[in-house]
Order: sequence, then C-alpha cells, then structure tokens
Amino acid sequence: MVKQIQEALAKGFTAGGSNRKIEIIVKDTQSSSTRATAAAKELITQDQVDIVVGSGTPDTTNPVADQCEASGVPNITTIAPWEAWWNGRGGKDGEGFKYTTLFFFGMQEFADCFVPMWDRMGVSNKSVAALWPDDTDANAFRRGLTPLAGKGGYSMIDGGGYQDGATDFSSPISKFKAANAELFTGTPIPPDFQTFWKQAAQQGYRPKLATVAKVMLFPSEAEALGDLTKNIATDIWWSPSHPYKSSLDGTSAQQLADKFAQDTGKQWTQALGSVYSLFEIAVEAFKKSSDPKDKNDVADKLQKMNMTGMSGPLDFTKGPKPGIAIQHPVGGQWRKGTKFPWDITIVDNTANKDVPVGGDLEATNA
Amino acid sequence: MDFVNTLVQGVMLGGLYALFAAGLSLMFGVMRMVNLAHGDLAVAAAYLVVVLLGSSFLPLWLVILIALPLFALIGYATQRGLFSRSLKAGPLSTLLVTFGLSIIVQNGLLQAFSADTRTIDFGALNTGAFRLGPISVSYLGLLTLALAVAVIAGVQLFPSRTRTGRMMRAVSDDADTASLVGANSRHLYAIATAIAFGTVALAGIMSGARSSFDPSMGPAQLIFAFEAVVIGGLGSLGGTLAGGAVLGLTQAFAAQIDPSSTLLAGHLVFLAVLAFRPQGLIPQRAV
Repeated sequence: MVKQIQEALAKGFTAGGSNRKIEIIVKDTQSSSTRATAAAKELITQDQVDIVVGSGTPDTTNPVADQCEASGVPNITTIAPWEAWWNGRGGKDGEGFKYTTLFFFGMQEFADCFVPMWDRMGVSNKSVAALWPDDTDANAFRRGLTPLAGKGGYSMIDGGGYQDGATDFSSPISKFKAANAELFTGTPIPPDFQTFWKQAAQQGYRPKLATVAKVMLFPSEAEALGDLTKNIATDIWWSPSHPYKSSLDGTSAQQLADKFAQDTGKQWTQALGSVYSLFEIAVEAFKKSSDPKDKNDVADKLQKMNMTGMSGPLDFTKGPKPGIAIQHPVGGQWRKGTKFPWDITIVDNTANKDVPVGGDLEATNA
Repeated sequence: MDFVNTLVQGVMLGGLYALFAAGLSLMFGVMRMVNLAHGDLAVAAAYLVVVLLGSSFLPLWLVILIALPLFALIGYATQRGLFSRSLKAGPLSTLLVTFGLSIIVQNGLLQAFSADTRTIDFGALNTGAFRLGPISVSYLGLLTLALAVAVIAGVQLFPSRTRTGRMMRAVSDDADTASLVGANSRHLYAIATAIAFGTVALAGIMSGARSSFDPSMGPAQLIFAFEAVVIGGLGSLGGTLAGGAVLGLTQAFAAQIDPSSTLLAGHLVFLAVLAFRPQGLIPQRAV
C-alpha cells in the first residue's frame, strides 16, 4: 500500500514553491489505544513528522487524534464512525478541533445503506433483530440506529447487551425467533459473529436478510465462516467497482485493487481505498499550503479541504461537524468469487448512485 | 419450553468447558501444577489442524487423528525438557514457566498467523442439528459433550485399570518411595502431560469448530477451564465434568435473564464455591 503511494509520488510534488519529496514512516497500533498513543507520540516527538494519518476503529483514531491535537500536529484519520470520533473526544458544537480531521460516515449513512435493502426484501413484519453487545460501538448503534430505523417503520428487536467474547448466543437467538424477525443487523466483534451465525443456523434462526456492520468487512472473516458467508450484506464505502480515481496519478479503484493483489497476493479490502485517500489528502494539503512545514497552515488547509480522489468526493467543510467529511456507503453482499474464495458484489446503490450495481439483492437465507 | 432449551444449551456448553478443563485437572491431580499456558495450547492445536489441512489433501478426520497424538508427543517433550526442571524448583517457578510459555505461544502464533479470526470447518456438522419441538440440539454440541464424558471417563479409569496408571498414582503420592520399586517419575509425569496435551488439543479443535479462534483468546479459555476445575473440586475429574456443567448452565440461564451478566454470573458462582465450599462440589483425589 505505502509502496504504491511512494511510486505515485516518486518524482515529488510542488509545495510552497519548491519540489518536495515525501517520506512515510509506518507504525503498528495493533488496534490498541495504549499502543496508538505511544506510536503517535513517537512520530511527533522523535520522528518530528509534519502530518500524522491513521486508520481503523476508534481505538486507533481517537488516541492518535488526541495526541496530534495536543501537540499541534495536523492529522487525518478514517474508518471510525464520526459520532465515536467526535463524541468520544469531547467535540464541542460550533468549535471543532483545530488540527484533527476525519473522513468516514455515521449512523445516518448506515441507515441510508441498510433500510433500502430491508425495504426490498418484502418481509411480513417490520421487526429487525439486532445483535448489539455492550460496547462503545454497539451502544452508539443502539442509540443512533433505532430511531432512524423507526422512521422507516422498522422496530428493532434488541438481543440484549451481552459482553464481547460471549460463548453462547441461545438467549438472543430465542428472542429473535420468538419475534419472527426476518431481518438481522448487528455490530458484534468478528469472533462473536462467527459463533453467533453458526449457532443461529444450528438453532434454526435463518433471517431472510442479514445486514451487518463492523464485521464481515474483511475476506479473512468471510473465508473463516465458510458456506454460511453467502449473501451476508454489509456497508461498502470503497470497492474496486467504485468509479473513483487517484488524485495523485489517476490510478482507478480497480487498478489499485489489482496492483495490491499482484504485489501482495492478497485480496483487496475496503481499507485499501481509505488508506490511499489519507495520503492523497495529506499531499493535497501540503500542495495548497504556502509552507508545508507550517503546521498551522497545513491544519487550516485540512479543515477547508474539498477534493475528489480514490474515495470519491470528500468535503471537510460540509460535514455534520467541522473537520468531518462524509462518505456514503452502498450495500454489498458476499458471494463466491472467481479470483478469491469470496468477493463483494454491490447490490444496492440507493445511498450513492455513482457506484454501479453488480448484481441483484438476494436473500441471505432463501 | 424456553427453560428446557436453555438447559440443553447450557449442558452442551458445559461439555466444552469440561473438555477444556480435563487436562488442567489431570496435571494438577498428578503433579500439583497449574499450567497457565493451557488455553494457549488449545489455540495452538487448532492452528496445527489448520496448517495440516492447508498443506495436505488429507480429510479432516484424519488430520485430527494425526494432530492429537502429535500434540501429545509435544506434551511429553515439554514435560521432560521444560516442566520437569521447574517442578524441582518448586510450585512458584512452575507457575512462572507456564506463564512464560503462554506469552511465547501467543506471540508466536500472532507472528506466524496474524490476528485474523480462523475457524475449523466441520462441513455439515457445523450447522447440523436435530429438533425436538422448540429445542434444537446441535450435532457439534452433542459430540463435544460425548467427547468430554468419554475423555473424563477414560482419564478417570486409566490410573485404576492400567499398570502405568497405578504407577502414576504411586508417583503422585510419593515419588521417592515409588522410585524404590522402579517407577520412573520423570517418564510417568511426562505421560500425564502428554494425555493432558492430547485432551486440550481436542478441546481446542472442538472450540475452533464451534466458534472461532485467534492467537489472543487462550487466556479466556484458561479462565473457564480453571473455573470448571475449581467448582468441581481441585484434582477431581468427575468433579470437573460437574463443574463444567454448572458453569455452562449458570451462563446460559444468566443470559436468558440479563445478557450483560452472562460471564459475571459464572465468575460469581466460582467465587461462591471458593468462599463457601473451597473443596469443590465433588472433592476427591484424581489419582
């Protein structure tokens, strides 16, 4: 991934009136907030970086952003619901942060993505089973998605706030069966979803459509679940079929995914497009600044950023809060792939008409 | 009928806990040692199966038949090479050695296999179940329970019915005196560890099929196994089976009442047993 950015920028770029080369230092946070804090500190104090970018769950984005805000270093993060990023860091209305920015989406966009798919299933009652554990992400969905789904006439059947790492899901399964919930959604952690989905099959809970968030984003999860993966739907904010191009060298989404597969032998993930865009935005902010070493100037350019690149149009001035750019995920389902065991097919583009539909929406359990 | 269903699911979950706990219980019974790497070894065994499956065209059942004795052999070697040295230095050093082993296994697996979630695919058995009215009994859960009962019965009978087992009992009681009549304590301890490793490998495989595994989930498995052992009575194998069932049932019923208290309820039962009946439900010497 970093290699492709470096190739695209091999000749350097013009910023502040002279040609600049970019140097990328990579740190692994292992999705632990303690490590993320330590890594951000190292980057700021030891490596003296001009900008910090980061991705992947609030456990990484929030501590990294907090460190940058405190030290006055420009920062962009992604792949964390904006509510978790904003509320989790004590964002104040009308004020916003000075150095830190985020592009991703929130509860409204999840609803915009899931509800149209639910509408198309022709279910007999509008009860939606919800597997929401008792953790930060799930509680945000419990509070946020329930009223939004209610607008579409759907009522959520909450399986109850169990603890992550649960070993038995008989209790929520019997609740879902009793309510005859033909639609299913949830934000369990990946290992818990594996257990739940197998047990649901064993105990005869077979919802017509499963639209999940936070899990089933990666091919490794799809492979682990085997045949039970088929036609599970999730939110897709980037895929090779998104009609977007790199702002650095015009590489298309499809080319990026193919190059990644060629270089690493691994299948594309949505993070690929998001991480690519982190660098695009950073470079764009450097280019627009009068001096890329001036942290206040670069941070100011980030806050006012409005650009189109690998992740499509991102406007940081029009978000729900200052410094947030919103993406619009579409609905995709896991199907048997040709190159890889499982691949995503885009099945519903109600939320973002730019993305072409690759196949029909099919029932998860016929 | 929800009550009966919860009962059935709880007992099957208990079977898995008991299977996990059998090896822990055996090692404590024979050598008075607590193996803190127990849960990580289960995870390692699941990865062993995944690797064997990926690198050969052997069917799953054959891979498991190869993996179990292989893991038992690793157990024998670990006892002779590692645990037996620390046993001489006292219980605290054994505890530290197994703690160290736990960290090494976890990080080794993370290095080799990344943090991705894996499962073992039993095919149709994964999701198969038969239904009695509103109760569904999964074949996998039933198989796990049957294996737990068989393993525990086997490990229980071994010390009383076989010559090696009787010698193991003698060594466990008094190693010095037993050695006077020709018992090789190092060899016998290693056999006990081999059996324990074999059973924990089986538990890791069944758990990997039932849910999933990643390198960091060993300690959580250890806690449930340890609680099953303590609830049932330290060193008592029959008790371990009962302890697993009590733990599974407690969690299943707590989940019905309030999902957020599932794990807590299990821990509370464990605490209550420690406080009011420290000898466990079925106190008895294993060997």
